[in-house]
Amino acid sequence: MSKSIFELVDQLPTGGTTVTALNALDFVIPGQWQNLTGFTNTIRAVTGETDEAMIQAIGERAVYLYNDESQGYQRAMWLYQTVDNAAGALGAAAMANKIGQDISFLGFLGNLTPKPEKVQSLDLCIKLVVELVAFCQINGIPGDSIGDFLGALGDYSGESLMRMAALVCFDGIIPLGPNFINMGLSTIQQTTPDDLQHNPSFKSVSSLIPGGNPAGQLGFITQSFDSVKGWMGDFVSSRSLTQEGLLSHVKQYVDISVDKLDYVGAFLDVAVKYYTHTGTQTLARRLVERAVAEI
Amino acid sequence: MPFSNWHRGTVALMLSVVLLLTGCQPKAPSQFSQAQQDSSKKGVTAVAKDATQGSEFNKFFPRPAAGYARTFSQEKKGFAEAKLNKDGKNVAMLSINDTTGIAGSAQKYAAATEKIAGYPVTNLGNQTAVLVGKYQVKVQSRDPSFDKTDRQAWLQKFDLKGLEKLN
Repeated sequence: MSKSIFELVDQLPTGGTTVTALNALDFVIPGQWQNLTGFTNTIRAVTGETDEAMIQAIGERAVYLYNDESQGYQRAMWLYQTVDNAAGALGAAAMANKIGQDISFLGFLGNLTPKPEKVQSLDLCIKLVVELVAFCQINGIPGDSIGDFLGALGDYSGESLMRMAALVCFDGIIPLGPNFINMGLSTIQQTTPDDLQHNPSFKSVSSLIPGGNPAGQLGFITQSFDSVKGWMGDFVSSRSLTQEGLLSHVKQYVDISVDKLDYVGAFLDVAVKYYTHTGTQTLARRLVERAVAEI
Repeated sequence: MPFSNWHRGTVALMLSVVLLLTGCQPKAPSQFSQAQQDSSKKGVTAVAKDATQGSEFNKFFPRPAAGYARTFSQEKKGFAEAKLNKDGKNVAMLSINDTTGIAGSAQKYAAATEKIAGYPVTNLGNQTAVLVGKYQVKVQSRDPSFDKTDRQAWLQKFDLKGLEKLN
């Protein structure tokens, strides 16, 4: 059986490459993300509850909700974990037993393969779509109008906003440069359903991407990317994010050599599991919010 | 040598203590292990099969008053929730849920003495809620500025009569 939700949250690392790399992005969204770990800690932080009997009751309801497969929470967790693990297999295998530890960039250079730009652009689009699908699995489609739904999407904060910041920075600006949004868009427009089926990231999550068949799924990915490109553009320009600026910040926290730029993206890809880490935190928060309201 | 024997003995004793504390000690079960076990049994669900869809609840939520913004945040089978924000800050959570099959959810109202709009009320920590038939309507404070009086006032802004007809 897969792990329980309380084990997953209790086992979130408090240090290591993923946490360090995310902390390096604090300057992008100052003070927005605290690395909240531990299941009962999460219950206390989300609800402000101090009564132990209440904390127990909330936790138990959250466990029940997570284990009810029809509710979609396990599918969301699977999506977050799978899209993270689809990164370069060789590097991933070499690091498999190093999760939660510090991993040196130079020590792993030999295991890294720079991703071609086209693959990186497509990965960016797929990760974004995974976020959208996981959001709907966790929250449903809140409200009665498109405006309500966009309001729910626009309400990203805390660990969800950090996940989007990391997507823009680690999968967009650092590997692809400032023009990453247009690169993503033009890549997806030039991609055929056959190309898509051969992309490892897509293959790993395709069963949960809406669209019915690869052509339909390609349409869904294109539409999704197109609809959030404005948000991403604003995110970058309002914070004056540049590749150089980001690299100099990340370098202070994570041991990378900027002269091997091609490899930095590949390194972040295998060493930083930010979808799983912040996705677990998001899922735990939403489960607790629902549990405390229902009991 | 007596000293050496004593030394050796101490090391052996310390090693066994270390082993006892680390390797040999069984992992303490989590306080949620029982819930994990019970909820993993075949046929056990968290949400009743005939629970009302969350989308049915949206129209009974209060319209945001001046100065407040309401953002729907979750809509699942048996549950809908919205955030209530003031000046961009989350001050409360508003929710409606179907209590069918949720242990204790409706039962706790049996001892209620207080009423709002004729419906029984419970107060627990930072939350105030009413039971409308099988549906629970709850307001939780997320900021000290939003107190019990605010929770009661916002509960009355829900369309409770309309919700009652959904039963």
